[in-house]
Amino acid sequence: MPGHWIRHWLLLCCLLGSLPLPAADIILGSAEDSPAIRAFSAALAQRRPQDRVQFQPLGQLPSPADIPADTRLILLGPQALDWRLGAAQGPPTLVLRVSQVHARKRLGASRPADLTLLWSEPAPARQLRLARVLLPQARRIGVLYDGHSEFLLDELRQAAAPLGLEIVGQAWPDSRDNRPVLALLRRSDLLLGVDDADLYNPRTAKNLLLTSYAQQRALIGPGAAFVRAGSLASSYSDQADWLASLDQLLDQPPAHWPSSAYPTHFKVLGNRQVARALAIELVDDASLARQVAEGETP
Amino acid sequence: MIFSTRAPLPLALLALLAGGEALGDDLFGNDQALPEVLTATRLKQAPAAVPGSITVLDSALIEASGARDIAELLRLVPGMMVGYRNGNQATANYHGTNVSEARRLQVLIDGRSVYRPGLATVDWSDIPVAIEDIERIEVFRGPNTVSYGANALMGVINILTRTPADSRGTRLKTTQGQRGIHDWYASHGTGWAEGALRLSLSGQQDDGFDHDQFARDYRDSRRLNRFNLAVSQQLDSRHSLDWQLAAKEGSNQRPYGYASLFDEAIADGDDGSDVSARDYAGSLRWSLDLSPAHSLYLQGSAQHWERKQVWRACEAEVAFSPELGQLWDLNPFYVVRFGDYLNQLKSDPANAVLPPGSAQEQALAGAVLAQLAGGASRAVCGDVNQSMRETRYDLELQDTLSLSDDLRLLSGLGYRYDRADSETYFNGALSNQIWRLFGHLEWQLDEHWLLQGGAMLENDQLSGSSLTPRLAVNYLITPRHGLRAVYSEAVRSPDMYENNVDWRYRVRNLQPLAFGQGSATYFARSRGPGNLDQEIMRSRELGYNGAFADAGIGVDIKLFYDEIHSMISEPLRNDRFFPSNANSMRFSGVETQLDWQLSPADRLRLSYAYVDFAASSHLDRRLTARHSGSAGWLRDWGQGWSSALFYYGADQLNGYRFERLDLRLAKRIAIGNAALELAGVLQQRLDDQPLTWPENNYDERHLLYFSAELEF
Repeated sequence: MPGHWIRHWLLLCCLLGSLPLPAADIILGSAEDSPAIRAFSAALAQRRPQDRVQFQPLGQLPSPADIPADTRLILLGPQALDWRLGAAQGPPTLVLRVSQVHARKRLGASRPADLTLLWSEPAPARQLRLARVLLPQARRIGVLYDGHSEFLLDELRQAAAPLGLEIVGQAWPDSRDNRPVLALLRRSDLLLGVDDADLYNPRTAKNLLLTSYAQQRALIGPGAAFVRAGSLASSYSDQADWLASLDQLLDQPPAHWPSSAYPTHFKVLGNRQVARALAIELVDDASLARQVAEGETP
Repeated sequence: MIFSTRAPLPLALLALLAGGEALGDDLFGNDQALPEVLTATRLKQAPAAVPGSITVLDSALIEASGARDIAELLRLVPGMMVGYRNGNQATANYHGTNVSEARRLQVLIDGRSVYRPGLATVDWSDIPVAIEDIERIEVFRGPNTVSYGANALMGVINILTRTPADSRGTRLKTTQGQRGIHDWYASHGTGWAEGALRLSLSGQQDDGFDHDQFARDYRDSRRLNRFNLAVSQQLDSRHSLDWQLAAKEGSNQRPYGYASLFDEAIADGDDGSDVSARDYAGSLRWSLDLSPAHSLYLQGSAQHWERKQVWRACEAEVAFSPELGQLWDLNPFYVVRFGDYLNQLKSDPANAVLPPGSAQEQALAGAVLAQLAGGASRAVCGDVNQSMRETRYDLELQDTLSLSDDLRLLSGLGYRYDRADSETYFNGALSNQIWRLFGHLEWQLDEHWLLQGGAMLENDQLSGSSLTPRLAVNYLITPRHGLRAVYSEAVRSPDMYENNVDWRYRVRNLQPLAFGQGSATYFARSRGPGNLDQEIMRSRELGYNGAFADAGIGVDIKLFYDEIHSMISEPLRNDRFFPSNANSMRFSGVETQLDWQLSPADRLRLSYAYVDFAASSHLDRRLTARHSGSAGWLRDWGQGWSSALFYYGADQLNGYRFERLDLRLAKRIAIGNAALELAGVLQQRLDDQPLTWPENNYDERHLLYFSAELEF
């Protein structure tokens, strides 16, 4: 308790000290402490010289309720989200590195106030536009799901409709049983991977990629790591994209923050060897990203 | 320290660099360490970049065709001439050549060559694989010994079974129909963390053709059972093992296989000369991924073919005369003239004159005449044995090395041991050893030009060594549209029969005794010359392959000019068999295939071949259809209903027209987690000709059969 009090006081001192500037205090919190996180924090600080950005491991942070309401809290990862949800009140919070599937498990469909979930996975609409750029003739988009990811179909269908695409869903409850995958590949033009670690993981990657290739179907997504394994392409957001996306959000008053969002900035990674084997014309990644971005509403 | 807001600049720069460059170290890169799966060594060329012509029969097409036999499926391949010697002996030849033999195609089941070493033919009906287990058939139309070894003279039929991992669950199927069709299939697939297996059992039965050209019942039905076990096991992230065991047993009926030369009145000694056929096969493939750019596999297989054919035949005693046998060995043509003289003795004795010949020929003929006068024209009956056992061991090492994104090298070596054992055909056992070394380079010069070439060096113990090159240039207009020019050479080694046959019938259990002997050798015999050379094929091809993705059309056109030199055209026979490399043949023409996905529910598939040819031997002029092709329409009507309509046509095969319309109608019904599919197939012949040979006739022009399949 005394420790909390001191930290609170220090925080207050700091806030008072910075009053003349139209600045914000940004606390970056994460369960883990690593050079990569420190580097991210430093990069954010450099990007927002007007703000005071600091990184703190979760263990060193006061309870969310004790952090001043005008602080902006940026949390990284599911454990940090859990920590934030442990308190009913807290400063406006942006949560990064959390997937829809994880949030669903933790929160269901509810979205607590003062919390903005920034999804770690590529935006479905973006992935679908990418699919349309690469395979303009593909209409039926196959999507494997299980009990944890079935809810994603709604958002996919909403994103698919304006593009004239049809989402063909297929439950895949047991990843050792290939029959649902084969059935889906037969009635769809390509496979779109969703960020569900039960379905797309190092154990299933080989089978999924070999099966879809044997059926001459491309896999789009679920993320950049899969592209190197043999997925045709995926959009993704790297650190620079996240910094730029965060920058935009932090420029806005927290009251304007959405309850959830995808990063506004992204890149595209394509696999040239796979494209060649599937006879798909693949322009360079930057041009592809531009083509995909053309469909975005500003 | 806590409120330090600025990181040192170098660190920040590093972070930015990390963001753009090294995804793995990025805070937002995926943490998962994924293996590289679709590596340069696993990926194949896109259709437009293939150095040749390939027809792929996918599982949807195979199922929709309703075919019960692999040979029937091959009617979907442009330029493939599918015929029947009888109801259980299908023959498939690409473009043509000899009508009674089909010995210029390589046929592989999951990489294991199944053409018989002894007679170099493929017993389509006896291959131990059920059509239900086949995932895909890739037919390489054209010579490709570089990739598939000798015997891949005119083409390669690569049959790929469904992987065990894709075969989970249980399938039970029965097919019943006209012409005595009773087929069944049962399979079960299961998996574990690092592997999977599929066990399938199946059987087939039908009556073959109904009657011969004399309206007599035709004895050519078949009955068979098969066993197949396929297992795949991932040993670790780099090693995997795939192995298979297969067996088949069954009987193929044959009409009585002998006609008396000396007295037509001699009755048949048996109802037929049926073959009991057993095939056994085992194979093991060990694959190793050394790196994403380098992989290799070692495949070993062992196969055994057993054909048991023993029947009782009757002939005049004189056929077993040692003197007549000596006369045959001396001059078979004299024996033919002597036979004519014997016939004339019966019909027109006044004008019959013993054919002139050497003193020895005349003396032997005199001895035979004396035997006949002594009663050697009486009928004797004995057991004829035409059985054969063949064995093959095959070992192949193949290495795939991706030297860069644009350069890939396939190389390897193989060893094969073939052995054929038959008293009748080889007077014992005969074996052969074949070594081969091959390399194939794929070089993507730029986004448009692709150069692919290779060569195979083969040493065949019985027929010598050969070097065959292959070169292809593809120009990719876009990744989906490619033009190709291919030059290839290929060889076919004479098979054991052609080169080394030592055909003599040792007839046993003779009753009554022939010249006092219970077992005797039939007078006519033949020997292979032993010095036959390899046949040489030179093939030139221009082609276009294109995919119009918007319209859902895939199309391939091929112009070809193929020549076969040093061709061995003689059919296998045991009288006057004098094979030589004296013949030649030329094929030219155009082939096309089109696959059109009209809508998600409709698929149209067309194939057509125009083949012009010239052959020095009249025996090679009969099997080539000038016009042949197929047309198919597959439709999914929704609610589980689907249909497929196919037309197959060839203007002539061995002089007979062939046209058939097949309709398959199926309904799929979901029962809980299981699925039941009921299907009916109606085949309607549009011509009224025999099939390939005059004795191949059906009573009705239509055939109807039904199947029910339960999957759970």
